[in-house]
Amino acid sequence: MAKEKETKSNLPEAGIELKEEDIITAMQQIPGYVDITPRDFKEIYLLAFQHALERLRREVTVGEIMTRELVAVHTDTPLAEVAEAMGRRGISGVPVLDETNKVVGVVSEKDFLSRMGVREPQNFMTLVSSCLRTKGCVALPIKKQTAGDLMSTPAVTVSPVTQVRDLAKLFTDRRINRAPVTDAEGHLLGIVTRGDLVRATLQVDRS
Amino acid sequence: MIGTFFRKMTGITQSPPKVSGAEVFWSWLGSFLGIAAVAYLNVGFLEKTDLVLIIGSFGASAVLIYGAIKSPLAQPRNLIGGHIISACIGVSAYKLLVVYPWLAAALAVSVSIAVMHLTKTLHPPGGATALIAVIGGPKIHNLGYVYVLIPVAAGAFIMLAVALLINNLAPTRRYPEYWI
Repeated sequence: MAKEKETKSNLPEAGIELKEEDIITAMQQIPGYVDITPRDFKEIYLLAFQHALERLRREVTVGEIMTRELVAVHTDTPLAEVAEAMGRRGISGVPVLDETNKVVGVVSEKDFLSRMGVREPQNFMTLVSSCLRTKGCVALPIKKQTAGDLMSTPAVTVSPVTQVRDLAKLFTDRRINRAPVTDAEGHLLGIVTRGDLVRATLQVDRS
Repeated sequence: MIGTFFRKMTGITQSPPKVSGAEVFWSWLGSFLGIAAVAYLNVGFLEKTDLVLIIGSFGASAVLIYGAIKSPLAQPRNLIGGHIISACIGVSAYKLLVVYPWLAAALAVSVSIAVMHLTKTLHPPGGATALIAVIGGPKIHNLGYVYVLIPVAAGAFIMLAVALLINNLAPTRRYPEYWI
């Protein structure tokens, strides 16, 4: 009895209780002499299990770092309103929803620039230079259009349980700066940006 | 207090399972050929010289490198490193403390274990290799530091070559687990 008690108090608890018979059976499945006692194996297993749990706990998900303040437009929102909303909020991209409030695309500054005849590189100074070389406003060709006409679609969306590490890879691979966060049905829950990702890195280091 | 102390002597787990018949066969074959190689070369080439190629600690190495090949103690780093380091320490202990053989013997083994630990080359037969350098009699003593090369390093490398060949012939075996 004393033996039993000591075994339990010395070892951390794991999700599944591993019995010595299991270890013996496993050792029999490995051909050759395995140079470890069942108890030592159990101890290593339990400690390794704890480390794995801690590691998983440390891994931050998109849901923890996303911005929940929802700014979104609809496919039929006129571009003037879209631009106004983006300018007022100081954001460079906004999710576009269809009539059932599902995310169907994203409108970003780059989409505006490309439709306004700005060739590579699609940045503000290229726009200024083309403005200065032409008569009238370069925004005229898209004056009557809506968010649905301009958006990049389908939207690259992520789920709140996406790992931050996978998010970084997605941003890099797809060359995007933000992704709408949606639930399983495609409804908007928030948005996650490169800025959120940078802040998340700081938090992980601190903890 | 006293109760806890003695209860620690009761053991806490069961012994690991017995190995299969095939394992027994490969352990037997490997150790037979490994020791045969060293002993045959010893008789064939060194009999008329002052050199020897076979020492008792190789019997212990055979247990590990043919019988418990997954063990860290049985890996090439440990086999070669453990024997060579212990041989150096054993010869040094004998030379420095030739007037106190009991102290030379104890230090040869204990320092070898410590240095094998520190160099991650722990190999139990190394302790015997160090001890043999002290208690091995005039033939061993006359070798001086040559003992490190022949029989120790040479014999260990021959045994390792046989282990690599025979252990990897066995379908269920793979050797080594690591080199360095």
